[in-house]
Amino acid sequence: MSVTDFWTPFELNSFLNALFIGLSIASIWLIAAVGLTIIYGTMGVINMAHGELIMLGAYTTYVLQTFFYIPFLLCLPLVFVIVSIFGLFIERTIIRRLYNRPLDTLLATWGLSLILIQGVRVIFGTAPKYVSIPGWLNFQVSLGFLHLPGFRLFIILATAALIFGTWYIAYRTTWGIRVRAVMADPDMASSFGIDSNRIYSITFAYGAGLAGVAGALFGGLKTLLPDMGSGYIVEAFLVVVVGGTQLLGSIFSSIILGELASIFSYFTNDTFARFVLFTLIVIFLRFRPQGLITEGMKRR
Amino acid sequence: MSANIYHNRKAQWLAYIGLFLLLALVPVLFDSPFLLNQLARYAVFAMLAVSVSLVWGYGGILSLGQGIAFGLAAYGMGMTMQMQFQDPVSDPVPSFMLTNDLSTLPLLWEPFWSTPVGLALTIAVPTIFFIGFGAMMFQARVAGVFVAIMTLAMLAAWYAMAYDMQPFTSGFNGISPPMPFEFAGVSIDPYSPTAYLICVGFLAALTLAVKLLMQSKFGLVVQAIRDDPERVRFLGYNVAYYQVIVFAISGFIAACGGLCWVMVVQYVSPTSLELTLSVSAVIWAAVGGRLSLLGAILGAYLVNGLQSYMGDELQDVWMIVLGSIFIGVVLFLPRGLVGLIEDALGYFTGKSETETATVAIERTV
Repeated sequence: MSVTDFWTPFELNSFLNALFIGLSIASIWLIAAVGLTIIYGTMGVINMAHGELIMLGAYTTYVLQTFFYIPFLLCLPLVFVIVSIFGLFIERTIIRRLYNRPLDTLLATWGLSLILIQGVRVIFGTAPKYVSIPGWLNFQVSLGFLHLPGFRLFIILATAALIFGTWYIAYRTTWGIRVRAVMADPDMASSFGIDSNRIYSITFAYGAGLAGVAGALFGGLKTLLPDMGSGYIVEAFLVVVVGGTQLLGSIFSSIILGELASIFSYFTNDTFARFVLFTLIVIFLRFRPQGLITEGMKRR
Repeated sequence: MSANIYHNRKAQWLAYIGLFLLLALVPVLFDSPFLLNQLARYAVFAMLAVSVSLVWGYGGILSLGQGIAFGLAAYGMGMTMQMQFQDPVSDPVPSFMLTNDLSTLPLLWEPFWSTPVGLALTIAVPTIFFIGFGAMMFQARVAGVFVAIMTLAMLAAWYAMAYDMQPFTSGFNGISPPMPFEFAGVSIDPYSPTAYLICVGFLAALTLAVKLLMQSKFGLVVQAIRDDPERVRFLGYNVAYYQVIVFAISGFIAACGGLCWVMVVQYVSPTSLELTLSVSAVIWAAVGGRLSLLGAILGAYLVNGLQSYMGDELQDVWMIVLGSIFIGVVLFLPRGLVGLIEDALGYFTGKSETETATVAIERTV
């Protein structure tokens, strides 16, 4: 292997295509991270089982499709509901006991992820499963030199819709005001009659539901395996932390990281790009541990 | 002085030395190469658990990146052993490089012709990396969850690197040196009592050194930083300095583990840099009791022993059992199993004031 083989020379058209792929990567990381952003941002809970919630979402879609013949688009809201109910259950049994102990939630949810991976493996076996996507999404977008599969475009749009929905709930509803009040100061919020435990439960369930939808969408991209979730958890966490645990921050950081990943892998290859990207993130966090965007009220 | 014998220093040292003597006696009592090899692996895992106990239990730094030191050292050892097999004249390039279109030995591999240099690099590179990485984090006062995330990202980066640099590391397949490790003309068979005793010797020496260090003034400052870094900073201590040292020592211990690991299994692959191994080490330490070195060691032996000797029909659900144990420990036993022993000893010795118990374990706070 020589240096010339390793570095791909610059070529404008394929480079622009790489930028487009970067957007697709960004949408995937963002949709994986948005539930995590909400859970971490609101509750300070490090949910290491988030990747497994994504995996559960994918398997739920598989079950709904295979055994109940439910069309893909209808699966998405159903998966949201099912996984958020599961999230509610987790919150009530495990997470609730560990508020104010963020490192312990990290460990307990890691234990949970072991249980979920093995549980799914026992039930569904290790053979890969598939989620079928509707035929009308099987098109290829070609704008001159740009090529993008239709389903990837669909994911970008779905991500935008979910982000908009989350933003709307957080900033335009009474419920969102309560959530943000608890985020800012749980004690003060309680004294105004907001039940912060209830807020935490619902927030966790909502974040879990978003992970489920992410899983349903990822199911259309790749095969389903019990340990598929671990492939997303590191990236999702980095998006959240680099972004600064705010919704807006996660949007920016996922776009930046996705584009960087795509550009690095354009010049080198996928795994080396990961190495460079992760190293850059570690250096970035060294200088700005609070992330890209911080909200004034959260400043210490 | 507390009446609980658990907090009695002499009793603690007796327990530590007793355990290591017991471990050293295994080759005399059992003549089973398979068992020795397996127990040697457990000793390596115990080293990892000790490194976690030091950095997390004593230092208050939850590192998910202990696998970095372990993995780097494992690769160093793998390279050293591979080069012992190669011949400088007739066969200078390992076969996996040839299949990856590499006709000359890369510069990175050249120092490993010499076994002492190779061993020195095996230990020095991870330790120096941990000093640099730790200095970077702790001088910026990165703490808590962010350390966990940064070490996690760094681990993932190294994993990608080991995976990707196929001509240098043999990628996914890993390096399997064809011959056992040879030192000073003696070949160390992985299934021999020698290999086992080297692992236990490393474990005992490192553990006792750490215990001694943690009883010193240095160790007390480290534990004070764990409990309240701000207050220690106000008292005029350079907190980052202590954290970097503790982090580097834990990296050194994990590196010794990686070295022994490859000696015992004769194989190194990117799995040693996987997140699973690093988090498993945290689990072992947590289950046994992260506030105690002996607890962490017991945790490593117990969890791995349970995994190996649970019936075949239970192997399927092993991860479920492990996950449940772990959640249970985090929720209900933050001090781990030795916390139970501490309470039990306190109950018996504290009330009657007689020192009858023969087991005592590291002081917890």
